[in-house]
This record gives sequence, structure tokens and C-alpha cells, in this order.
Amino acid sequence: MADTICRTLRDGGLEGEHAPALTIKDSKASPFGFDVFNYVLTQLSNHILAGKSQSRGLVVVAYSRSPSFYVDLLKRRGIDIASSHDWIHILDCYTDPLGWKNRLIDKDISQEASSLSSFCQDVRNLDKLYSLIIEQGKGLIGQGKDRFSIAIDLVSEMVRHASISSVAGILSNLRSHDQVSSIFWLLHSDLHEIKFTSVLEYLSSMVASVEPFNQAAFGQRVDLENLSMLEQNFRKGKFHVRFKRRNGRVRVMCEEILVELAGIKFTPVLSEDEIINQRLLPKVQFNLQLSEEERNERAKVVLPFEHQGNGKPIQIYDGRRSLGENKEEALVSTGKLQPDEDSGKGQIIYFRDSDDEMPDSDEDPDDDLDI
Amino acid sequence: MKAAQTPHKKEVPCVFGRPPQLPITKIIRLSAALLARHRRCSTPTAALSLPPRVCSLRPESLSCRLSTIYSWHFTGKTKLCSVDAAMATTKPRLSSFSRNLSAVSSSQTPGVKCGPNGTMFVSSGIADLDKILGGGFPLGSLVMVMEDAEAPHHMLLLRNFMSQGLVHGQPLLYASPSKDPRGFLGTLPSPASLKHDKSRDRESEQEKGLRIAWQYKKYMGENQPNFDSHRDNKQDYCNEFDLRKPLERHYFTRQRVNCVGIQDSKNLAALQEHCASFLAQHQRNDGSCALAGRIAIQSLCAPQCEHSNMDWEMLSFIKSLKGMVRSSNAVVVITFPPSLLSLSSTKRWQHMADTLLSVAAIPDEDKELAKLLSGYQDMVGLLNVHKVARLNTQVPLILEATTFSIKLQKRRFLVLECLNQAPVDGSSGSSYGTSGSCSGSSKAGTLDF
Repeated sequence: MADTICRTLRDGGLEGEHAPALTIKDSKASPFGFDVFNYVLTQLSNHILAGKSQSRGLVVVAYSRSPSFYVDLLKRRGIDIASSHDWIHILDCYTDPLGWKNRLIDKDISQEASSLSSFCQDVRNLDKLYSLIIEQGKGLIGQGKDRFSIAIDLVSEMVRHASISSVAGILSNLRSHDQVSSIFWLLHSDLHEIKFTSVLEYLSSMVASVEPFNQAAFGQRVDLENLSMLEQNFRKGKFHVRFKRRNGRVRVMCEEILVELAGIKFTPVLSEDEIINQRLLPKVQFNLQLSEEERNERAKVVLPFEHQGNGKPIQIYDGRRSLGENKEEALVSTGKLQPDEDSGKGQIIYFRDSDDEMPDSDEDPDDDLDI
Repeated sequence: MKAAQTPHKKEVPCVFGRPPQLPITKIIRLSAALLARHRRCSTPTAALSLPPRVCSLRPESLSCRLSTIYSWHFTGKTKLCSVDAAMATTKPRLSSFSRNLSAVSSSQTPGVKCGPNGTMFVSSGIADLDKILGGGFPLGSLVMVMEDAEAPHHMLLLRNFMSQGLVHGQPLLYASPSKDPRGFLGTLPSPASLKHDKSRDRESEQEKGLRIAWQYKKYMGENQPNFDSHRDNKQDYCNEFDLRKPLERHYFTRQRVNCVGIQDSKNLAALQEHCASFLAQHQRNDGSCALAGRIAIQSLCAPQCEHSNMDWEMLSFIKSLKGMVRSSNAVVVITFPPSLLSLSSTKRWQHMADTLLSVAAIPDEDKELAKLLSGYQDMVGLLNVHKVARLNTQVPLILEATTFSIKLQKRRFLVLECLNQAPVDGSSGSSYGTSGSCSGSSKAGTLDF
């Protein structure tokens, strides 16, 4: 299922459609969001290098880690850095976001990273940031109809320096840009009001949330009983994803996460009962529509009184006639709409209880039934 | 004033010949009394004829008033004919005892229909929705649609609404938070080709022939219930839209469509200006309306707009818009995502609306839901009707069902259907009590939205 996410990001958006956007959110209870982010990043890089993805370049906007971290990360995962000038670029919003250093001394940054990254010295000006990102992206892919992807390290950092509406503005503008293939970002949900989280969920087409493995165990004192459960929370977690599909439906999926030194592993969930679904139970009615078959059957039913008004003399069946005459006349079929072999007519064989009763008596209204 | 005695059954009672000094109100009262008598008899038909003097006065207002006072409708058009012709035109027409809201098609403007209580309707672009709402969107009302953050179904409603207006030549003002609002016009659907319309006609005609098992035929002779079909009018009023065919470009010329982007402006003053000038062109004067206007505002509180955190500004904008539209021949449709507003703001916005709808997404590949509802495979989403506008009347519209499923027939045509329970599978072993939705399903969940 994490593969599904990566595949969606890899395939990108269609012509005229907004780019698919992924929100990864985590919280203090299960702080593995960054591992998920790294996983998605390396997967996308692999796809770009292999040429399988729609995008041909990647711009990483680094807020919470320095560019050298990303270089090391890619090296560790076996991705070739030497040729990476043409497909990846890192926008450094980590070193000096507010422009406090007037002159930049590049002793801190390693040689490789400086060729891959450029500085952004004013993160408060989101318009400038937007144009920087687009510029870098276009620089990677050159002229033509190619597209590039964007990864934003930590949106929580972005909103520290700018208002919610401007952050939402830049994200939606990036999404709707013609040359952006896909975009994803990380968010720590407990740093914000619910409003900001819901804004980001509104803007994205996939929402992945990392949750603690044992919900109940979080926040409790470390006791001998729940020690094992708490320990599980340190390494494991639950991964819920909500996809907004093109046909307007929402796909909900769930997996388990295991965090190890080498990286993060996703395993499918064992028990299906744990899936929490918002159940919207509307008031349903019984189906009063008939299918084609049922309609045909209904048309075949002979109703009483139907033949009246045709000019023939009206006779009312009074149930007194003998059996011999009964068989010649068509009788009422029961209300069942089941296919019948002999031209769909059912039979009711009715014997009157006694001959004393007058026809059309009030006691037995069935006498009036005239077929 | 002479009123003919109620004749026996087949003949038509009529009112004829009156001194010209009688005011119109008296005529109306008299005819109301006459009809009240006729309700008790079996042939509720009346021909109302007036001398030519009266006919010179505005006949539309008279017939409108007549139809609003008592909502039995005059089948077809009200014929205001002279006295001599009255007796000649005695055609026994059995009007059905039905509250038919398309009472009098007195307004000649296409796309506007007269309704009860002096209201006029425009179509929403979706025939099923018009039926549910009792005729369409009333002119002068504010319609709000609550979006679901997870599904774009409100765009379907907006598209049909806008297309319907353009097809009828009604001016349109469209506001959206995207950078290029005009680009959205390229996604508007076009009316479906005639072939599909005809097949739907035939289907509904077949259903009209009732088979009644009762001995009425020997009493009534050849009088068969005759359902007048207003179908010739109906096709014009609400079109069937093919979502795969884009609307032809000549429909959205500059005069008819004005697009406004609300993302970049600091506050809502510019949008308010636009709406005010648009509505000023459609002021409602006494009498028939010239042309109805439509305003469509998409995602009013979208997060990328700067005004999205100014709660009170947005509320006062909506309030002023509602006041302006009340006195004009226009309909305003606003969509907004309630998840982005605070709870109290959402409640206030909901109270502002005259008609309140909401759309919801449905989970994909949900086996529980597939078992519960029939037709789950074709469903795209759900539509809820929370409030229906009732102008000029105190009587509410009580719907049998408020939740409908949105389906795309042949992936082209939008239909709304009632939710039907799937047939309970007897072999599964679940008893009636647990499988029915009324008693709640085995998983705990909210029973309504």
C-alpha cells in the first residue's frame, strides 16, 4: 500500500488535472513520519532515475534537515550521486531561513551538497519561494513538456513564518502548475490547530497518517504490564491512507510499519477488524422498483374486473359454480411474481364452505372478485 | 352574477356573463367558492369565462393569482374565451386531483417556470433534483452546497447548474478561487442528443397507464384518466446533460458569462461589487420577469483565499448577498467546504441558506456498504437535502427521503436515486433484525449525517 502511494506519485497527473499531492502526518505518539518521508523520497528517486516516472526531476525543499543529510541518505540507499545534477535539486531553507548571516561562509557545507543546493534566505516571502521552486524545477528539466516533482520537508516549519492562507495558496498553486507532476509533504499534526491539518487534507489527494501501534498504551506510565506494549510503540506503528480516487470515491487502506536501522518496512495488516471506518448509514428504503423480469411477470397477472367495460355482460363470480366450470375460467393468480411454466397463470381453487350464503353478501367480499 | 347549477356529472359548470363593474378580486372569490363546491362532486372541471373587458387587463396576473389561491391546477393553459364560445368549448377534461406545480405557463420566458405562492423556478440542470425540490431553485433564493473535502461532487452540481443557465441564455456570474476561472467553462457539459431524451420519454409514458383492479369501468364508461403531458414544456425547462460532451463555445460569450477570481483579492469587497452590479441588472419589478440570472460561487472559504480566516467578513458578505438576491430575479449557488470552517461558523452559514444541500463521498470497495445498498457499484457519491426553500409560504416541504445516491448513467448522465436496501440474502443466516439498516448494522456507526 505504501507502494500504491509511490506508484500514484510516480504516474503523476493527467493533462489539465491537478498534480496528485500526498500529505504525510504523524504525531508525538508515533513519530515515524520522517522515515516514511525518506522512504517515499528514495522510491521516487529510483523511479526517476530508472525513467519510469512521469517526472524527470525532483526539487526538495529542505526545512528541517540540511542538504547534506539528503545527499547522505541517497548515498546510503545506493542512489548514484555523481550524475545527480540533472535530476535533483535541494532548496536549502534550513541553514539560514531568515537571512541572518549576511555573507555566507560555505565551510559547513560539503562540496557535493553545495552544487546540488541553493539557498533560500527569506522563507517569509512565499511568492519568492514559489518562483524559486519553479525556476529550479525548470532548470532541471529544461525546455519542453517534461515535468518535475516537489518534496517539501516540513510544512509545519512553513507555517511558522507565514499565514495559513498563504501556505495554502502556494501549495495549491504548485499543484495546479502545468509542469509539476506530483508533490508531497510532511506535517506534524500535533503542532497545529485542527484547522490547518484539515486545510492540508483538503488540498491533497492522498492522506497518509502514522499512528501508534497500541493506541491505549500511549501516555501511560511505564509499568511492568504495559512495558511490552510501550516498547512496541517505539518500533512499530500503523499506517492509514485515504485515497481520493478520480471517480469520487475514497479508498481507505491500512498497513503496519516496522522501523529498523536500514529503513522502514511496511507489512499488510493481519486482522481486518482493526480497520476503523467512518460508517455513514443513511436511511435506506425498501426497493420498490421492479426489474425487467419482474415487470413482465406483473404484466401477465390477470386482475379481476379488468375485462369489464368491454361491452360484455357483467358476471360476478359467486363461488357457487361447480368444479367443472371453474377450470374453464381464468382464476386469480396469487400475487407472487415467479416465472411459471404454463403461461404464467396461477390457480386458486376455491370451494365455498356452504351453499346457504347469498352471493354478494357483505360477509365475504371475495365473492365480488370478477375475473 | 349567474352561476350555473352544478349539472350532473359530465356537463361542465361554468361562470359566464358578469357586469363589468365587478372587480377582479370578486371574480376570484366567486370562482374559489365555485371550485370549492366542485371539489365535492366527481367531475372537478370548471370553465371560467369573462367578458372581453376583463380580458384586456393583464390576464397573466389573474391566472397566476387564481392558481396560487387554490392549487388545483387548470390543465393546460387557461383559456380566457368570450361568453359565446364558452359553451362550445365544453370538453370534459378530468383534471387529476394532484397538486401540479407547473400551474400556468404564463411566462413566456424559457427556463422559468411558475410555481405556487407566486414563486418562479429555474431549473438546477438535474431533472431529479428539480423533482425533489418541488420544481427547481426559486428565483430570489440562496442555495448552499456543503462540499466534502474528499470528493469533487459539488462540481457536478455546479456544472449542470451553469450549463442549464447558458443553454437558456440566462446571464451567469461565476466566481472561483482558481487562477483561471474561465478555464472551468471548458468543462461544462452539453445537452444530450435527442435520441436519449426520446427513450426516456417512452419509458415514463409506459408507466402512466395504470391497471386498476376495481369495478369502476362499468360506471364510468369511456372516461379514462387522461394525463396531460406537459412534456413539450418540460424539455425546454430542464435539459439532460451529457458530461462527456463539452458545451459549445458560442454559449459563453463575454456578455453572458462573467468570471471572477477570488484568490488574489484581499477581501470580499471586489466580489461583492461584482455581485451587486450583476443583480442590479435583474431587479424584480412587478410583473413577469424578463430574464433570470444565475450566480455560482465555488468554494467560498477556500484556504488559499485571504479572506478565508475572516469569519465575520464572509458571513456579512453572504448576508448582504442574500438580501440583494431576494429582490431580484436571480438564483445564487454557493459551495463551501464545512470542514475548513469552525463549527459555529458552519452553523451560521447553514442558517443563512434557503436551500441547503450537501454531498458526501462513499468509501471504495466497501463490502459492508455493497451488501447494504443496491446499486452500490454505480454510485459515485451521496447527496443530502437538508433544507428546501419555501418562499411566500409557511408550509414546509417534507421529503420522504433526504439522502440520494448520485449515479452516472453510462458514465454520462447524472441521476439521483433514492437509496434502496439490497435484497437480504437469506442464506447468509442474518435475521431481519440485524441486517436491516433501521435497526443499525452490527458495526456501531452514526445513523444519519
